[in-house]
Amino acid sequence: MTVIDTEVQDGRARPQRGAKVLDAEQVTMRFGGLVAVNKVDFDVHEGEIVGLIGPNGAGKTTFFNCLTGMYKPTSGTVKFYGEVLPPKPRAVVKAGMARTFQNIRLFGNMTALENVMVGRYCRTTSGAITSVLHGPKYRREEAESRSRAQELLDFVGLGKSSELLARNMPYGDQRRLEIARALATDPKLILLDEPTAGMNPLETQQAMDLIFKIRDQGLAVVVIEHDMRFIFQLCDRVLCLVRGEALVWGTPGEVQSDPRVVEAYIGGSELEDDEDEVQA
Amino acid sequence: MNLPTLPDTLREQHSGKGWPLALVGSLLLLVSGLLSWSFDPSILGDISIAFWPASLQLFAMILGAVGVLLALMHRGPLHRLGDWFDTALGLRALGTGSLLFVVFSLVAIASEAGGLVNVNPGGWLALAGALLLTVGARFVPQRQLNSFAKAKANPVLEIVVIVLGMAAILFGAAYVLGRDDPWIFVGFLVMAAVAFMALARAGFFTWMSHVAQRHRHVLTLAAFVVAFLFPFTQDGSDANMSIATQVLIFAATAIGLNIVVGLAGLLDLGYIAFLGSGAYVGAMMSNAASATIGWKPPFIVVMLIGACVAATLGLIIGSPTLRVSGDYLAIVTLAFGEIFRLSMFNLDGNNGPDLTNGPNGIPGIPDLNLFGFDFGKPHTVFGIQLGRFSNYYFILLLLIGFIILVFTRLNNSRIGRGWVAIREDERAAEAMGVNTFGLKLLGFAVGAFLAGLAGTIKAHQDTAASPDQYIFLESAFLLAAVVLGGMGTVAGVLIGATILKLLPEKLRFFSEYRLLLFGLLLVIMMRVRPEGLIASKRRQLEFHEDDEELAQEVQADHLIDAAPEAAR
Amino acid sequence: MEIFLQQLVNGLTLGSLYALIAVGYTVVYGIVQLINFAHGEVFMIGAFGALATYLLLFQGQTALWILPIMIIGAMIASVGTAVLMERVAYRPLRNAPRLAPLITAIGISVFLQEFVRLFFDKVPGTDFPSAKAKIPFPQIDVVTGRAFHPMEGVTIQRAAIFTVAMLLLSAVGLWWFVNKTKLGRGMQAVSQDPDTARLMGINVDRIIVVAFAVGAALAAIAGVAQGLQITNVNFKMGFIAGLKAFTAAVLGGIGNIQGAVVGGLVLGLAEAFITQYTGMLPDPFGQFGGSSWKDVWAFALLIVILVFRPQGLLGAKVVDRA
Repeated sequence: MTVIDTEVQDGRARPQRGAKVLDAEQVTMRFGGLVAVNKVDFDVHEGEIVGLIGPNGAGKTTFFNCLTGMYKPTSGTVKFYGEVLPPKPRAVVKAGMARTFQNIRLFGNMTALENVMVGRYCRTTSGAITSVLHGPKYRREEAESRSRAQELLDFVGLGKSSELLARNMPYGDQRRLEIARALATDPKLILLDEPTAGMNPLETQQAMDLIFKIRDQGLAVVVIEHDMRFIFQLCDRVLCLVRGEALVWGTPGEVQSDPRVVEAYIGGSELEDDEDEVQA
Repeated sequence: MNLPTLPDTLREQHSGKGWPLALVGSLLLLVSGLLSWSFDPSILGDISIAFWPASLQLFAMILGAVGVLLALMHRGPLHRLGDWFDTALGLRALGTGSLLFVVFSLVAIASEAGGLVNVNPGGWLALAGALLLTVGARFVPQRQLNSFAKAKANPVLEIVVIVLGMAAILFGAAYVLGRDDPWIFVGFLVMAAVAFMALARAGFFTWMSHVAQRHRHVLTLAAFVVAFLFPFTQDGSDANMSIATQVLIFAATAIGLNIVVGLAGLLDLGYIAFLGSGAYVGAMMSNAASATIGWKPPFIVVMLIGACVAATLGLIIGSPTLRVSGDYLAIVTLAFGEIFRLSMFNLDGNNGPDLTNGPNGIPGIPDLNLFGFDFGKPHTVFGIQLGRFSNYYFILLLLIGFIILVFTRLNNSRIGRGWVAIREDERAAEAMGVNTFGLKLLGFAVGAFLAGLAGTIKAHQDTAASPDQYIFLESAFLLAAVVLGGMGTVAGVLIGATILKLLPEKLRFFSEYRLLLFGLLLVIMMRVRPEGLIASKRRQLEFHEDDEELAQEVQADHLIDAAPEAAR
Repeated sequence: MEIFLQQLVNGLTLGSLYALIAVGYTVVYGIVQLINFAHGEVFMIGAFGALATYLLLFQGQTALWILPIMIIGAMIASVGTAVLMERVAYRPLRNAPRLAPLITAIGISVFLQEFVRLFFDKVPGTDFPSAKAKIPFPQIDVVTGRAFHPMEGVTIQRAAIFTVAMLLLSAVGLWWFVNKTKLGRGMQAVSQDPDTARLMGINVDRIIVVAFAVGAALAAIAGVAQGLQITNVNFKMGFIAGLKAFTAAVLGGIGNIQGAVVGGLVLGLAEAFITQYTGMLPDPFGQFGGSSWKDVWAFALLIVILVFRPQGLLGAKVVDRA
């Protein structure tokens, strides 16, 4: 495995690491007798991109769900800006954590713009009465939602596709749209679940540029990925999970050079393709 | 409505002959109406006199006129319009349909007067015309069409078309309601359906929907003016106005249900309970002798109380959505609906407190009296007498206007988007911060509130509230109106409600088979056109998840009904 | 004590009836994840099938040997209806959104009720009475007639014993069918994994038809039992019975055949006891007991079960009802 110099990274200047956004301490998740995640520590700072890797069945998704509030950990705590969030997806979004899905879950029969406007839902409050009366608050919020959504579509490079049905969009655009929808919730932390799954190298490169752009806005980013090269180029720090345990937790360089990671991956089966890519 | 299409070679060979044939056929249809159709003056509203067209003759003339119009648009003075409308398809549909209509007419004459001998030359001429039109239209070649999106708008013309269309609807509705002869009634419906199909195939309604988007407010206003004028066409007759008010109540409730089913995507099988609770509140707080509550506030207050009681019930019935969805939720709502009916049936003083007088219900509810306006008495406006039902008709018109307003504005708001998101993918919606439980509850509550409003008026109009008006079948009937008309659209539900209420009223022989046919209708609709007659594009997409062609066809502007309205 | 025993008897009888119908919901759900809400009408048609058989062949007779033939007649009617509705209405909707089969079921339900109401007396070549009112159900020797009084204050109808006996018989028969026959094992395979079953050469369409037929056959037996018990039939009898049986199926864990039987019995007992003992409470509450509130309690129970225990007592197949 070739060591990639992760410090240079397109020559971009890394912004100063900000306040601690997410802090997971000793997170453990048990399902009956099965320990899916065992005492994992993890933290993310403002303006930082953190990667989460591990072979299939390593507990990545479970851990991810603990972070996003889908599961309440059996023990340990997940703090967001120092506070433990209730295990409700909605409260988590409201607090400023947004996510995308591994298998794209857009609202297929809505247009791109509408999809993003759904993301604005939690930042707007007009209720039934003002909506029916078209009260001033409704007008203001609706106009604001619309312009903000269009802005975000422009940001991810879909400005011209705003009127397309999501289900009619090309695959790569759907992934971008999902990111735009997540950004519409005004997150401080965005969690991307395999953002380049099924993408060709060019699209992968574009996705990487987009993630840097997001980070440059001061957001914290967590990425789950299988594509090792992508992760090592992208991330500031990487957590490698194996069988529910944190195997290595450090800079890409440290993770990459750790013999245990190589072993875990060769012991696992599914990453041969990725390794080829890394070498190529 | 389409016969198998001809081989292209054959059509090309004879393409020149199609148009004259179709034109002559249409003209024959038009002329036939002026001739006598039958010897017998006593049948079908007298179609025996030449140059005095009545009933079926008139209908044939209308079809002929549509035919001439389409033919002249294809070639001749109006040919420039042919660049926009698919006249060939329109003529083909019209040909087949006219043939159907004329055959129907001949059968009507034969069965009323005893045999085809009684058909006069006029009838046969109509048949010949329809045949010529059918054959000719097959050979009319299709032309390259322009897209309406590129059409230059001519606001004056468009508004004139809207007004004329509305006037035609008003006149047609007034006319058809006045027919008591089932043959004429059905004949009219056949004619209307044929004309509708022909215009639809020609792309007329696609154009109308563009026009409607440009002139939303004009259209809405025109529709209400027409609806408002309708009682004046009835000459003080209360029989038709009674049917019309029933249609309005039914439609208002069905639109409310459509908020729950069509927008929020929740199947509510106990919806009639909300109408019922409104009606019972109206009855209990009325001046009826058997009203069980001493307090008799002004009607406006009663309306609000009724609506709030219904909305509270809606919240209760909706609360299980926190834990259940889909089929189970539907059954829970059904059970709530039945509990409501049984409770109203039981609360007579012997089984629980006396609230409802049990099975006898609360009879003798006096007419409404708002600001000194007595709804029970006839009033004369512009020299035309308006009876009791006309009075209720007007207040119901206001109500339905309000309900439509709530429906469309919610649909196009942040809340409407939330509902769509929930229908599409509930978990993703939740993960995007949409308050799924709250929005579903809101759907139930708003729907119930509106039904409660309608219920309070219904109690006064019916002069009684009793448990047997609020059985499960009524809920199913409302659902049928929504399914038939189209989930998520107002126009669809209006049409669905009108068909379901009007047909059994006007066709007595039909009313016995009403429920049988509507059961069948639900099954057939789900199989053939689950999105309803007038489909919301989005619903259509949802019901045809794997139809890629449809998805490509649907442009964004179909989905956002009034999106720019908010931005304005 | 007598009251308790009497309600025990009532509850078991009622429960057996629910159980027989509930099996139909559960078997179909287990195979196609479809809740066939028109199943109550299949039960009703079974009762009318039995009645028609009797009126055609044996009018005026009361011998016991007629009963099996009536049951066969009931089964032909029910199974025919169920198979037809699967073929015509449900099969084309197998990949449609969930709303579609549900609305279809309501349509079928209304259609079948009305069909029986309007056309029962118009069957050509017969002089059946009109179904617009209740029609008396034939009384058969041995299974109807004088009730038993095992002790003071406790009455056991003969038809009740028949109902419970038929449940036991059906349960044994069903167990044998599902576990010992090729078709039954095919059903189990399809319910566990339809795709694999199809790859293994099982004709899934046929298995689905069989599931509908099995449920309908048991509903037919229930129809006969109900007719004998309350001595008349009417076109509306399927609606509430169907809903309660559905509750029983959910209570037992939908998709679980033993569960349907247990659920039916539990629901029957619960209904009998709640109705009886609420009526015995002191007055402001006591008014809510007795037969006029019976169905309200049954529906309330239905709601409680659907909301709080949708997976049932014995556990259901995993349900994602989104």
